[in-house]
Amino acid sequence: MSSSSTPERIGDETALVALEEVEEVEALEQPRKGEAALGEAAAGAGGSGWVTAALAAPGLLWIGFYLIAPLVIIVLVSFWTFTDAGFERTWTLDNYSELFHDSTYWDNMLSTFLTSVIAVVACLVLGFPVAYFLALKVQSLRIQIALFIIALAPFWTSFLTRAIAWTFPLMGREGALNQILIKLQILSEPYQEFGFSTLSVRLAMIQLYILFMITPLFFSLAQVDRHAIEAARDLGGNWWRTFREVILPQTMPGIVIGSIFIFVLTMGDYGTVATVGGGNITSVGTLIYSKIGAVQYPQGAASAVLLVIVLMVGVWVITRFSNLREEL
Amino acid sequence: MTIQTMAQAAEAVERPQDVVVRREVKQRFDWAKLGLGIYFVLFLLFLYIPMILMGILSFQGDRGQLTFPFRSPVSIDWWKTLWDTNLFNTIAEDVSASGRQSLYLSLLAGVLVAVFGFMLSMAFRRRWRFRLDVVTFFVLMLALMTPAFLVGLGNQLLWRFMGETPSLYWTALGANVIWGIPFSFLVMLAVWNRYDRHIEEAARDLGANAVTTFREVTLPLVWTGVFGSFLFGFTLTWNDFDRTILLQNGYQSQPLPILIGTWPSSRPILPNLYALGAATTAVTLFLIFTVLIVATLRLRFAGAPVTRKAEELGEAEGLDTRVTGS
Repeated sequence: MSSSSTPERIGDETALVALEEVEEVEALEQPRKGEAALGEAAAGAGGSGWVTAALAAPGLLWIGFYLIAPLVIIVLVSFWTFTDAGFERTWTLDNYSELFHDSTYWDNMLSTFLTSVIAVVACLVLGFPVAYFLALKVQSLRIQIALFIIALAPFWTSFLTRAIAWTFPLMGREGALNQILIKLQILSEPYQEFGFSTLSVRLAMIQLYILFMITPLFFSLAQVDRHAIEAARDLGGNWWRTFREVILPQTMPGIVIGSIFIFVLTMGDYGTVATVGGGNITSVGTLIYSKIGAVQYPQGAASAVLLVIVLMVGVWVITRFSNLREEL
Repeated sequence: MTIQTMAQAAEAVERPQDVVVRREVKQRFDWAKLGLGIYFVLFLLFLYIPMILMGILSFQGDRGQLTFPFRSPVSIDWWKTLWDTNLFNTIAEDVSASGRQSLYLSLLAGVLVAVFGFMLSMAFRRRWRFRLDVVTFFVLMLALMTPAFLVGLGNQLLWRFMGETPSLYWTALGANVIWGIPFSFLVMLAVWNRYDRHIEEAARDLGANAVTTFREVTLPLVWTGVFGSFLFGFTLTWNDFDRTILLQNGYQSQPLPILIGTWPSSRPILPNLYALGAATTAVTLFLIFTVLIVATLRLRFAGAPVTRKAEELGEAEGLDTRVTGS
């Protein structure tokens, strides 16, 4: 089965997006060469497509049950009727019409959206120099990898612990930041807004998620053709023009992928807001959570569906900035 | 004059083209590099400072509080509350129950993630040229990108719909594994792409059957990737809060992240929370760095000479061949 079909490209842009993310961008070309050299023999050796299907089935079934089915049921429940026990299967649009008139929901959507946009821009601006330094200024490959790993290590540690570490010792009324600013006589009394505020949530999100921007940026910057940069310099381009006309266009895919990650992660965040915000700050995530806590499942599901629609529109808008399919 | 003396005289004449002029090459100092380097250090501080502060504050004396100044003496009293059941404000029972729960859950998730990711990548390696491979890729990316919180919500609704109560091992574990699979899959794909299939061919030619080839040739060569996948599954689950919070029920002891996350709203916040946070972070960092060191050593002994040779011959493919000198 597999050997009879025509060879086609492994995937669409999502496939490429993913590869970019996992540190091996050059990956796609290579296997094809190797496999072409070997012919179909290696692939066909095990017999038929059944072996392939058997290999793929467990993972796909698992994802089907724990991801696809839950997403489908969210959509279904959002059209079902609210009862005291949860929901019953009577179709209705009430959940949505209530939501559309719920100003609290839209205020939260707006503020969460604003937080996301701020996080995306801040992560890009703050993260770009880091990725630029690692990819283009560090010459030894070994040091480059070592520094990258040191910068990446916090990704594997608990978001929650980092959020708590961020909140209590650092940002509170008596936190280190206030104390330092008072010592330096920049402030005369503690600045209340540092702890449990929108400001601290936004700062914490930047700190927690910035690595999702730096990683794709690093890999696309590392791929920028050095000769093109040198050529641009030799032709008299100053730093800014070289950056804008040579480096930036080649980095666009990384920027887009990083932005998608940050946008989705911050829009769908619950843990950070709950911990760093300390109950004072709400977001779409905390709102849905409180609806679930109150057993208002259909309302919660409808809120989630609207969130997903906003997410999809946002991702679509971000991808407009770069033609991933062509540029990767 | 003989010819010899003429030759000597000629040699004595200084020819301008023989003169080597050594000028100092003005190395322009790379200010941008210095500036960016300083920025990088500041960035690392920004990343690590909260954790460092938390670590420091966990070593306070018994009058210790949540903020600076550091209340002396330096002690491990707060750390002791994590395991010593005799202390006044002990949390040892919760910690050991939650720690065990987290450990079992994460180990299971790690194994499942490694197995599923490995099998899926094998399927792709076999030139799975159905239309389905695009769909599969899309599904995997969906698993990567769906907000954690929605996965939790969806699973809870699904289990309610089926008339069941969500539980850690039947529900939360599954929701964590789907997040790990894309990571594992991508790691394995990267491994396969650097993998030389001719070795397998050679094994076949020497008469090994498919099973033997797989067991004695393929698996030993890619085990780092499989182990990396396991590690992804383990750490993602070990640290997860957003997915698990909606999928656990009150009858089971909570995993560590849930214990930590619900702490501020359920009990007094004392420096032992810092000790607990520092401990879980330390476990993760220790795992990461151990694995990276092992991987680096393996790379150095097994991979480096070949790489160097291929680079010198200009034949290296898929390797980083850019000039690193200039």
